[in-house]
Order: sequence, then C-alpha cells, then structure tokens
Amino acid sequence: MDVSDILASHEAKQKAVTVEKDIPLEIDAGFLTVTDLNPVDKESYDADREEYLMSIARDGAQALLAALFSLPTTSSPDGPLAQLPPPTTQLPRAKPLPKPKPPTKWEQFAKAKGIHKTRKDKKVWDEAKQEWVNRWGWKGANKDKEVQWITEVRANADVDHDPVKAARDARKARVAKNEKQHQQNLARAMPLPVGTSSTGAPADRKRQIDRTLAVTRTSTASMGKFDRRLEGEKKLKGVKRKFDPTEISAASEKSRDLAILSKLDKEPSTKKTKSSESSASDVLNVRKAIRSASKGKGSAALAREAGGGKGKNFKKGKR
Amino acid sequence: MLRTVKPKNARSKRVLQAREPKEIEDPRTAIFVKGTHAGERVNAVMKELMALKRPHAISFSKKNAVRPFEDASSLEFWSQKNDASMFVVGQSTKKRPHGMTFVRMFDYKVLDMCEVGVDDWKSMAEFKTPKATPGHKPMLHFASELFESHPRFVQLKSMLMDFFNGEEIDAIHLAGLEHIISISLGPTPPTMNAATTTLEASTSTAEDPSTLPKVHIRAYTIRLLKSGTRVPRVELTPMGPSLDLSLRRHTEADAELWKQAMRRPKLRKQDVEKGLGKKRKNLEVDEMGDLRGRIHVGKQDLGKLQTRKMKGLKAGRDDMLVDAEHDDPMLVDDEGGEDDAEGGERRRKRAKAA
Repeated sequence: MDVSDILASHEAKQKAVTVEKDIPLEIDAGFLTVTDLNPVDKESYDADREEYLMSIARDGAQALLAALFSLPTTSSPDGPLAQLPPPTTQLPRAKPLPKPKPPTKWEQFAKAKGIHKTRKDKKVWDEAKQEWVNRWGWKGANKDKEVQWITEVRANADVDHDPVKAARDARKARVAKNEKQHQQNLARAMPLPVGTSSTGAPADRKRQIDRTLAVTRTSTASMGKFDRRLEGEKKLKGVKRKFDPTEISAASEKSRDLAILSKLDKEPSTKKTKSSESSASDVLNVRKAIRSASKGKGSAALAREAGGGKGKNFKKGKR
Repeated sequence: MLRTVKPKNARSKRVLQAREPKEIEDPRTAIFVKGTHAGERVNAVMKELMALKRPHAISFSKKNAVRPFEDASSLEFWSQKNDASMFVVGQSTKKRPHGMTFVRMFDYKVLDMCEVGVDDWKSMAEFKTPKATPGHKPMLHFASELFESHPRFVQLKSMLMDFFNGEEIDAIHLAGLEHIISISLGPTPPTMNAATTTLEASTSTAEDPSTLPKVHIRAYTIRLLKSGTRVPRVELTPMGPSLDLSLRRHTEADAELWKQAMRRPKLRKQDVEKGLGKKRKNLEVDEMGDLRGRIHVGKQDLGKLQTRKMKGLKAGRDDMLVDAEHDDPMLVDDEGGEDDAEGGERRRKRAKAA
C-alpha cells in the first residue's frame, strides 16, 4: 500500500495553514496579539505597499488563528469557547490595585483571640407561624416582644411600666450602639486630613480641647467678659502682636522689594489659574502690594512710572 | 479635583462601586477630544478610530483649548469625571499639522503620551466591503523588529494594545473573531538597525522623530476557509480605516508612576478557577469539581394558573346553582346529574318556568 500521495496531500493542506518566517512570530493569545519581528522587505514594500502589508497581516492572522484554534475549549450555550491563557504582555493598569478593607475593631479583636466568624442567616424559623421570617427588618423576629398582644410582667413592676416600650427602647439602643461603633470604625479607617498632625495622642487631644475651650469662652455677646468664672479657671492668653523691625539690613530689604517687583513683572494670571495660585503657599498678596507700591493708582500707573514716560509712546503705536 | 460624593441611594452607590479599582480591570474608555483647531482630516480619523473603539469611547463634540504636552490638568479632570483612562486629542497647528495625541492615564493622572501626525488616510466608507460588528474584539498584528527594540515603538505598541484590546479575558468565542488590526512600520532606515538602535536609544532619547519609519494602521476583516485540517485558512479583506502615521513628540512615563501602574494582583488559584477575580454570585465548585449554580425563582401565583376550561368551573357559577336549588329542590333530585353542565342548564330553565 502506497500512502505517499495521502501524505503529500496532507502536507499540501498543512502548508496552506502554516506560516514560515525567518524569525518565528510571537503570539500573545491572551491579548489576541501577534508580533512579527521580521524586518520589513523594502523591495516589495516599495513595489506594492498595500499588497505587501496585507500579505504580512495575513501571515500574522493565520499564525494567531492557528494558535487560537489549538487552545482547549469549553462548551457554552453560544458555541465552543476557547480558553485563553493569561497574557504575556504587561500593560500598565488604569487604576491602582484595590486596597484591602481596613479591619474593624471587632475583627482585630477576633483575629487576636482566634474567633471565627459564624455567619447568621437572615431568616429564622418561627415555630408559632410555621414559616421563615426575617431576623431583623420588616416583620423581623427582633420585634416579637413589641408586637405580641400579651406580655408577662413581674409582680413588683412599676405602675407605669410599659413592656412594649421597654422592649422597643432596648432595641433602639442596640441599633444606636451599633451605629456608633460603625462610625468609630469608619473614623479609625479614615486617613487623617492633610495639615493636621493629630496622632490621637493624649497631648494632641488636650491641645485640641484647650483650643475649643478658648474659642467658646470668647463666643458670648460680651466676648466672655461678664461670664461666671469657674474655680481654677485661668486667664486666657491672647496672641501677641509682632511687628517687623524698623531697621533691617539693606540686603534683606532689597530682596523683599525685589520679590514684589518680580511678582509685578509677571503676566496677569487668568481667572482659572488665579484660584490655584492663591491657594498655593503665597506669602505675598500681589493685589495689595501693587496698591501700596503705586499709592492706589494701579499697576498701569506703576508701569508707566517705571518705564519713564514710555507708556505714552506705546499708546500711539500699532495695537 | 472633584468633590468626593457619598452615595445617597442604591443606584448611585452601584455606580460608584463600579468605578472603584478592581483587580482585573475593564477595558480602557477613551475620550476623543478636539483641540482648538482639529481640521477635517483629524476629525474624520478620530471618528474612524472611535468606530473601532466603540462601545468604550466617549466623544467630546466641542473644541477645547487643551495642550496635553504643556498642561494636563484638563485631561485629569475629564478622566475623573468620565471615569476614562485614555484620551485621543486631535490638534492641527501650522507647526504640527494633523496631529493626534494618545494619552494614557493611571489613577486619573497622565502616565504617558505619544503624538502622531496623520499623513494619509482612507475611511471605512471608501472600502465597499463588509465590516466587523461593533464591539467585537479585534485581533492585533504588529510587524517590525522595532516594536521590540526601539523605545518609541515599544511605547506605541503598548499604547495601541491598550487602546484596541487592553482587556484580560479568560475565554473567547472563536466565531466572534471578525477582524484584525494590523500595525506595521515602513522599512527600517539603515541607521536604526537592530544593533545600533539599542545603543542609540540608551544614549540619546531626543533624536529627530522625522527619521523614524512611518506607521501603517490597516484593518481587515477575516474570512475562514476550509483547509481540510482543524485550523482554517485565513483570507483578509480590507475593511478600513487605513491610516499612515508619523511619530512626533512623546513623553515617557514617570518611573515611579510606571512602577505603580505595573503592579500585578496576587491571584489565588481558587479565584482563577472561579472567573479571574470577577465577582460571580451563586456559583460554586463542589467536591466533584462540578460547577453548581443556584437560581432564585420568584414565588409562582397558582391562583392565576390556567387549567382546563370548563363551563362548570366558571366564576360566578356556584351562586347561580345555589339559587336554583333553593327555589326548587325537588327538581334537582329528579335530575340526579349535578356535575353535568347540560343538566345544570336545563335545570335553570325549569326553575325559571316554575
């Protein structure tokens, strides 16, 4: 039996679907990408560019599809799905990696003690009603004591003891406690706002309280003058005013004035940038500086003075 | 900087949650921005690119005074506002005619940029050929050795991969592959041979972009022909658009920012089995390794169930019968067939007669 022509025909078929290149093509099936690292053939590129580009694209597509068709598949309602391997090319992420959720105080405690969380079902079985009811919430089982029509009361209970109200108050208190703990967990997890150096240390806390106290003491109509003094309360210390010395060295005076002038030299900032500029640590208030330096006449007058009458000539010129 | 919003209802909470960073990210959304003057060519090219990028594309229809290489604050604002992490800015000036800038963002900040000039283009409409379905994933083809060796082209490749195909997926339906986007370069100039480029690139980053070869972007639809083997034979048909681009200015990513952007999540094996970090509810793998799902079916209203239609079962039937019986109980006894519909009919007639 001669199988040579069968083999030959098979080879011919294979030839149609295989791509021969000097440098084998790099295939990244995860991103459906193929990279052809062979140098561009200048002759065929110049001869017929579109034809050449299409031919190399065809080779690339053929190689990529051969790789994709050889991947393992799983069935789905829409047809077979090829399982892609993870991509080999590394692309930068668009957002940073998600941060792990900060643990609550209970979670920290449970971890330290080795307590495992047992998840409670939301529904509980009600023997009386013979059905599943919510543990809490709408028609929740935690309100049973409040809705039952008869309640046992101790013999020595107060005359005005209302068992329904007592049960409701207790439940509301539990909810409030939980909410408070939730808020504390959130506050603990929050990063400190920029600018505050409070580390939660007692000294910091004391300073904060002192400051709040000082503000409240001067917050009455009489600025605290006629308030009743508490025992052991100290007199408030005010802020001492500080003045620049009347005589300073020529060098520092010069540098200060030059700082003003360099600000004046700049182009007037547009509306948009103004807000950002003023927010940046700007010691000098330019508007005020111009007003004082020009004695209230404005920057244009100042420029005219500095230019020595150039302003008039400028006006006549072409605009 | 946008104000931070605290969600007030479940819907806005879901929207904000969808914007939070994920381990496996969604494809990048691209915003197409026109500069102060974009010009006909750039406008049309951006439209074509948008057609390829849809549905992850947002178009800004108005002109904007934005210069990405000088001030990126607008881009950062838009990125945050629209939750988009890529920009294509079209700008045509006398010095740099028909320019398009690809900008990639990380954490709403500019990561890197690459400017290209559109030298020549042909729209999709000019090719009278079948087009790929919008939203289908394209295959990508890069052809030149420079995509591996030259930093400018390495960046371009990474940028275009992110633009067209930057989503990690774990499976694909092979019949859905309809088109391939081919990015190829012109012939490599002799000064930039493989041996010299790496050296040159490391020494001088500011080389003249005009010496770089041109970039040809072509899109083709694929036809799969039977080959007699498992792998089909591929034929291509030009689909358009076809663009000839030349590289211009660029900025590399800041090293520190790039390092942060390249961080990979540690995926547990279980997560990989369960669908690559995406949250899939009500699915679990049992001890036998079978995937099991739970379906929640709403309670069925059996009162409205349609059973066999019979006259005797009609609503309001019982009261009439009761009336008739009340009038003349003797007749009913004679008849005997209570459950018979016809008997009931006759009975009523008699009752009336009586």
